[in-house]
Amino acid sequence: MLLTTIYYTMRNCLFFVLLPALLASPYAKGSTPAGLLPHNLDRAARLEINQQPTIQGVVLDMRTREPIRGASVSIANTSWVSQTAADGAFSLRWPNGESQVLLTISSVGFKSQQVTIQRAASESPVSVYLEQDLLGLDEVVVTGQGLDISKRRLSTNVTSIGSEELERTPSGRIDQLLQAKLPNAQIRLTGGQAGATSIIRARGVVSAYMNSTPVIYVDGVRMDNLNTASSIGGGSTQGAAVSSIADIPMENIERIEYINGGAATTLYGSDAANGVIQIFTKKGGASRTAVIVDATVGRETPTTDFLHFERTKDLLFEPGVFQKYNVAINGSGERVGYSFSGGYLNSSGVQLYNQNQNERLDLRTGFRASLAEELTYESTFSYVNNRYKRNRNGNQGGYTALWFTESGASAVTGPQPRFNPRIDEQGDEEFARMMAYVDEAERLQDNEIVVNRFQTSQSFVYRPVNSVQLKALGGVDFRQLRNQTIQTNQYLTHTTGNLTTDRGSINNGERKYWGLTLELNGQHRADVGDFSFVTTVGGQLFRNEDRQVSYVGTNIRDGARNIADAATKTSDEVYYEVVNYGVYAQTNIGFRDRLFVDLGLRGDGNSAFGEAIGVQYYPKVGVSYIPSAGAWWQETLPFFSAAKVRGSYGIAGNFPPPFRNLRTVSFPGYLGEQAAGFGTPGVDLRPEKSSTFEAGIDLGMLQDRIVLSAGFYHTITNDALFEVPSAPSTGESDAFRNVGKILNRGWEFSTNITAVQTASTSLRINLAVNTLHNQVLSAGGAAPFNINGFSERTIQTVVQEGYPIGFIRGSYGIFGADGVMERSIPLQYLGTTIPDLFGSMGLDFQYKGFSLFANADYQQGAFANNWDSQFRYNYGAGDEGIPLGEINSPRGRTGWLDFTNMFIEQTDFIKIRTIGASYSFSRAQLGSRLQGLTVGLNAINPFNFATSSFDPEATISGSAAGQGGATTGGIAYATYSAPRQFLLSLKVSL
Amino acid sequence: MKIHKNILVITALLLSGCELTEVTNPYVTEDRFLTGSQSAVTWVNGVRRQLSQTVGTVTEFTELVSDNYFNNYTQSSKVFDVPQINYFDIDVTRIQTAIHQLLEMSEFGLTDVLPRDPESTQQQRAELLRNKAYALILGAELFVALPAGPLGEVQEPEQLLLTAAGLLDEAAGLFAEQDDKLVCALLKARIYYRLGDAAQAIRFAQEAQANPLLLSQVHYGTQTGPSNNFQSAIFSSTTNQFAPLPRLDFLDPKYFHTTGVVFDDEKPISIAKAEEAFLIIAEAQAAANELAAARETLRQLLTETVAKRPVVMLDDSRETRNGGNRGDYPLTAVSVRFDAGSDPVEGLVLDRQAGLIPARTVSGTSVTGAQLDAAVSQDELLYLIYLLRQEIFMAEGRRMTDLGIRFPVSQREEQNNSHVRPEHTKALIPSFIPVNRELDDFTYDAQQGVVTIRHDMNKILVAHKSAPEIFPFNN
Repeated sequence: MLLTTIYYTMRNCLFFVLLPALLASPYAKGSTPAGLLPHNLDRAARLEINQQPTIQGVVLDMRTREPIRGASVSIANTSWVSQTAADGAFSLRWPNGESQVLLTISSVGFKSQQVTIQRAASESPVSVYLEQDLLGLDEVVVTGQGLDISKRRLSTNVTSIGSEELERTPSGRIDQLLQAKLPNAQIRLTGGQAGATSIIRARGVVSAYMNSTPVIYVDGVRMDNLNTASSIGGGSTQGAAVSSIADIPMENIERIEYINGGAATTLYGSDAANGVIQIFTKKGGASRTAVIVDATVGRETPTTDFLHFERTKDLLFEPGVFQKYNVAINGSGERVGYSFSGGYLNSSGVQLYNQNQNERLDLRTGFRASLAEELTYESTFSYVNNRYKRNRNGNQGGYTALWFTESGASAVTGPQPRFNPRIDEQGDEEFARMMAYVDEAERLQDNEIVVNRFQTSQSFVYRPVNSVQLKALGGVDFRQLRNQTIQTNQYLTHTTGNLTTDRGSINNGERKYWGLTLELNGQHRADVGDFSFVTTVGGQLFRNEDRQVSYVGTNIRDGARNIADAATKTSDEVYYEVVNYGVYAQTNIGFRDRLFVDLGLRGDGNSAFGEAIGVQYYPKVGVSYIPSAGAWWQETLPFFSAAKVRGSYGIAGNFPPPFRNLRTVSFPGYLGEQAAGFGTPGVDLRPEKSSTFEAGIDLGMLQDRIVLSAGFYHTITNDALFEVPSAPSTGESDAFRNVGKILNRGWEFSTNITAVQTASTSLRINLAVNTLHNQVLSAGGAAPFNINGFSERTIQTVVQEGYPIGFIRGSYGIFGADGVMERSIPLQYLGTTIPDLFGSMGLDFQYKGFSLFANADYQQGAFANNWDSQFRYNYGAGDEGIPLGEINSPRGRTGWLDFTNMFIEQTDFIKIRTIGASYSFSRAQLGSRLQGLTVGLNAINPFNFATSSFDPEATISGSAAGQGGATTGGIAYATYSAPRQFLLSLKVSL
Repeated sequence: MKIHKNILVITALLLSGCELTEVTNPYVTEDRFLTGSQSAVTWVNGVRRQLSQTVGTVTEFTELVSDNYFNNYTQSSKVFDVPQINYFDIDVTRIQTAIHQLLEMSEFGLTDVLPRDPESTQQQRAELLRNKAYALILGAELFVALPAGPLGEVQEPEQLLLTAAGLLDEAAGLFAEQDDKLVCALLKARIYYRLGDAAQAIRFAQEAQANPLLLSQVHYGTQTGPSNNFQSAIFSSTTNQFAPLPRLDFLDPKYFHTTGVVFDDEKPISIAKAEEAFLIIAEAQAAANELAAARETLRQLLTETVAKRPVVMLDDSRETRNGGNRGDYPLTAVSVRFDAGSDPVEGLVLDRQAGLIPARTVSGTSVTGAQLDAAVSQDELLYLIYLLRQEIFMAEGRRMTDLGIRFPVSQREEQNNSHVRPEHTKALIPSFIPVNRELDDFTYDAQQGVVTIRHDMNKILVAHKSAPEIFPFNN
């Protein structure tokens, strides 16, 4: 049989179209159908395809000539994109029918580059050298813009952090990872226990109702970012609460963008006065599949710097072990990219009996497919299982280890006879007895928090024509938390000193959060003469459902682990639901690529708005000018390699809490029967709106060896939601009302200096300095109210007209010459809890494959109350600087609440967050078997320098205003410091 | 505006479908409640609950202010024992709020709920009227002055009491049950006692004496509550929080549980009981120097009322007074001197490890007929009357008023209500009240087995009987 090979071009041709054509061809005559079987056809097609040229190349660092891994290489006007492998290589198939293509090569931290390649020259691999870009003018960002836009066009700042920077330091949670990395934001963990809440704030505190945590998006999907206690199941409001940030997926992150609240977040409308963090994950890799295995192990030691008694560390702490393992597989095929990663973390913590152990499992898949030249589909799924123990802390009532030891409560509680609360003065026998007591009290605690979190993002990008891009995105964040506290009779008997047989209890709190995000937007680009237009129009909807239940069993036998056999069972439920929907439009008009005007508007509806409130609008306007783009600049100001001047005005909001716009009746029950009472008073609430005016300049000097960004902002929050204390005579409960007006203003400076720069060596130093002035301009006649702390007669952090939010309020005692308190003035301003100066600094040294880096952050000008010290005075565990005249007066120590000013300390600090070193073996050293090998050493939290005797960060997160409420810290009380970690890591790329 | 909203909604619909923009409100709105069935019954139940909570709050804090109880633990007020009472103190706000909530819930029931519920009854109206009157009585007895309505004018105690008397008159006319009418009479006797109107006080007290075991209580318990927090503080908690003055040790605990689960057995607190009628009449008689008649009234009180109140034998062996602030409370049966100059008295401090102890849930006293016989002067009788009042009303939140102490109007009211004047924001603590926690102070000579109370407050009260803050019939 004669076999004829047919070459037939089948590009863009479906099989059922091709087949009749083949049958009709002269070669088909006399052949049997078998002669046209797909075997041969397939071969023919394969041949054709194999002959289709590919674009191949390598992306290198212009300075070091080392390959850049993970750089994005895309073909203009198509949806096709690939990434570079560990050796910097990339490969893309040549688009059909094109004689030349425009490649865009970009990587965070480098200037993007566009390269035109002719088809005729496609067989020659292209080498692209990327220049480091510290100013980032041409970096493409998304956050706050709807769709991609170049930074040079923006009138506001966007901070981007790439994967290399993120992967350098092992970290257990996203906010810790970002600590000292966002130049204009401050991130403070309020405690050292797993799952602790954090205080994240940038441009001050714009709200007295909602905590300052930015909104967080992962691949465009809004995440649960609750960062203070929840109504049920989230820890105690006056102890350390549980944060949703602690379990945000953080595997395989490609980059993170951060924008401050204000004009930059206007397009997020009623949801973003605190700023936005957006996390983008990997959805593909290089054409050759890369397997990256990362293992980190190390030792954890307690941070004992701030303990009052020497012996506390012997009583409460022991060293622990940290382990973290990750596997990531990234690659791409013909038109698809895929990414998988899995991680496991196990930190034993530094408390006795592993009472703060944390285990975490992360799984993530990312997928990208070019369904057609003009259509791309992206999909990510992630799952996080976070499980941690948590021993008692803060003001949880009953026994708390730190309260018992550091606050001196051993004088008044525990076994008889009581201990001498001055632990360091105890004799060996007494100390041994105390150690045994504490050891048992710690052993008997049984508290556990388990979080399961699932998140997905699905998006389609469609380019019907080159100038138009449409994007549809949908995604879900589902988070389920279970907080279980088991108190056995044995524990109660031991800690109260009273025989208890019928009070064993299991307290379960569960919170299920379900958040849906839908977004549809489009962008149009047009160039008309010297003008360019980027116009974005879109709509976004998100809805959050937050259901919390508690189920409690009491009088339960020791050993039981669920409430099935409890003598009594009680339950409770809380439900919040809110929907926000809005449309936005923005246009960015450019003139000669150097002058840009930015105009935008968002209109929002929200289910939590009052009926009479209607649509809320958020406008913005901004100008960006790049004088260095002109030729005259280089001639007259050669010292300045780049410059940008920007200014903007914009409004962003925070929507009110759900259902507060309704006047309700509550049904608390009476002796088993239905009983009614006053519920919420019902107030037509509107969002609080923060109007920001800002101006700044970004400068690159000496070929960007010195990069400086300086700016000023002035933000007024109008209609601020204050929880106005009701007059008792009304019989009503306190209610949120839009009565406040808050000012935040400050300067923001950040600089990046490259002190040394050669092909093999670089030394870079960065420093950020931010000032902040915060003040409640008006309370609208509302009485002061507490956002953290306890009662008026003890200590509170308060919102009051004329003062900064969350200032410390307590009694001010005046002492006579004899050391006896003469007078006590209650409810006095005792200091602000908000620093007026804060920032971060870092150092980065590189010599060939070796790098050494460190970062730190600092604050100045804030104060906090040392409640542990105040307790020590009360319990006789120390004199705490109180004059002997007072102690020996007839009042004895009963006046301990009358001179709280004696227990206020300034909380300036510099904390070194990380010191690390790593060595990456070169490809020559590795040979052909490994793509990459990096060995790293990291010391986390190695050094603390503080003016306060307590840890200035470890302050109870509080939030007396309820779920998600504002907090500024400010009270140091029975809270653990974050431990030190000394970690060795090994990263292998196969 | 509307058009724009519609555009938004349509966009949202295009995005997602209409149900995505709707939320499910889990709460019952006021409109829906008022137009629903059984609103009067449910609201009256709610007012009863509020009454229980108000009485519980008042009891917890006023017992600490007084010499009856000392807070030996860290929870609850840390300064009322001093007594240190500031108008900004959250507990002052709590007490005032508790009273006004009772007042306003009663008022809302009378004006909004009952008129709209066709099934509402005269009995319900009477109950709300009486509860409103009781709120005003508490306000008058505990505060220097109080607004009588939301952000209203601040009224002196006398005005509040007269308003309450009018409400009780109306309530008495609506009640069908005789005991309910008698409770109204007893409360009116209490009002006129406080007003110093002996004739009216005696008249209504005598009316209430028609039932010598008359008793009105507020109730607690069940899973949904309300809870008797005071019971928790003196018995049910795993920590021994509040400790009584040792000479009142035998009356503690008045509230306790004998079940495995606390809320299955939470004891009620009395708000009106026949004993008060006898005490008012006796005090009026003593003030009028009708000493024999007063003695006779008190004798009747002991035999016809107090002796007939229930006594329960209770295991209180867990009570070790180890709350933490003081570790020297006597735990065995020791004698007590009422002050340094008094003779020791046996039987007032119980040994709770020796077996079951008698617990009195309504009334108990150490005063005997012999003591009454021995009281021959007005002062001696007044002393016994105030000792009786202290012991009989133990743990019922009445002692602070007898000591002449009053709470100020809370700062939160002052900040919202322009009618509050500076003088309303200062607590009334008579000059004869010892400070620095001396009200609860004692020394314990364990070797001799004698406790000596620092101050015999009843002695001090009698010594200052002409002080305007106390002894209404003497002033």
